[in-house]
Amino acid sequence: MMLLAKAALGVSGALVAAGAYTFHEGIIRVDVDEFRAGGSHVHLWVPAAMVPMTMHFVPKHHLCDAANHAREFLPVAHALFKELKNFPDAEFVEVKDGEQHVQIRTHGGKLQIDVDEPDEKVHLLVPLSTVDDVVGQLEDSAPGA
Amino acid sequence: MSSFHRVFTTKAVLMTAAALLFSPARGLAQTSNAQAKAAPSTSSASEKGERWLHVRVICTDGKGDTVRVNVPLELAEKVLPAVNHDRLHNGKVRIDSSDINDVDLHALMEAIRSAKDGEYVTVQGNDNDVRVAKEGNQLMIHVVEKGGSKKSQVEVKVPMKVVEALLSAGKDELDLVAALHALGAQGDVELVTVKDSENTVKVWLDSKNVAD
Repeated sequence: MMLLAKAALGVSGALVAAGAYTFHEGIIRVDVDEFRAGGSHVHLWVPAAMVPMTMHFVPKHHLCDAANHAREFLPVAHALFKELKNFPDAEFVEVKDGEQHVQIRTHGGKLQIDVDEPDEKVHLLVPLSTVDDVVGQLEDSAPGA
Repeated sequence: MSSFHRVFTTKAVLMTAAALLFSPARGLAQTSNAQAKAAPSTSSASEKGERWLHVRVICTDGKGDTVRVNVPLELAEKVLPAVNHDRLHNGKVRIDSSDINDVDLHALMEAIRSAKDGEYVTVQGNDNDVRVAKEGNQLMIHVVEKGGSKKSQVEVKVPMKVVEALLSAGKDELDLVAALHALGAQGDVELVTVKDSENTVKVWLDSKNVAD
C-alpha cells in the first residue's frame, strides 16, 4: 500500500510539475463565431508555453522564410511587445464603425483583441511574453541572424 | 507502523497529491474569471507619472463612429528607434531641402525662439484665415477654412521645447524621439484640434491611460 502511495505521489508530482510548467505563461484563447449558415465556431484554449516549444519543431527553412517575410517588422514588434509588458493595462485602440467594434488592449500581461461585427465575433487573448518569445525566435531564425 | 496508521498515511498522501494535481486547473479558472471581470484601471498610470498621447476621431454624421488611440509616450520613445522605413531611421526623419523650399529650419526656429510673444503671420482670405503666433512658449497655428462645402477649423499648439527638440538632430533631420521626450516633460496639453462638418479630431497629452 505504501509503495502504491509513493508511486501515486511521484506520478502526481510529475503531473503537477508538468501542469505548472505548461500553464506558467497562461493560456492563449481564440474564439471565433460566424453567425451565418455554415459559419464556423472555433473556441480554442492552448497553453501559451506550448507555442515557443512547438516552434522548435518547425522546420528551420519555414521559420527562416517567415522571418524573411517579416524582417522589416520584427525589430518593431520585438521592441513593442517587450515594452508593453512594463505598462499598466490599457486600451490602445478602439474603433467603432457602425455596428463594427474593434478593441486592442492589454490586460494582466496579455494582449486582447476583440472584433465584434453583427455576423462575426473574434476574440483573441495572448500572453505578451508568448508573443515576445515567438518574435524573438523568428528574429533568431532570420537569415544572417 | 500499525495498519490504521498505514491506511491513514496512504489516504493523506493520496488526498494531498489529488489536491496538488487539481490546483493548477483551479488557478487557471480563477485567472480566466478575473480576466473576464476586470477592466483597465487608470490609477496605475497616473501613479507612475506616465504620459499618454491620445488621439480621438469622432465622426459627426450621427452614426457615432469613433476612433480612439492611446499611446504611452515612453513606449513610443522606445519603439520608434526600432522603426526603419523610408526616411525614418533610428527615430529620426530625414528631410529633403527641396521639400521645404530650401528654408533653413534651424535659423527660422532660432528667430522664433528669441522673438517675443506675438502674432507672426495673419492671412485673411476668401477661402482661408491663417494665424501663426507665439504665446507663452507655445507655437500656435490656427487655420479656418471658409470656402467649399467642408468648412473646417484647425488648431495646432506645439510647445517650443518640443520644436527645439525636433530640430536638435541636425540640418536635414527631425528628431522624433527627442521631440517625444520633450513632449513628455510638458503638462497636460491639447496639441491638435480639427473640426469640420464631418469629423472632430483631437490629439492631446495627459497622465491618464484612457481617453475621455
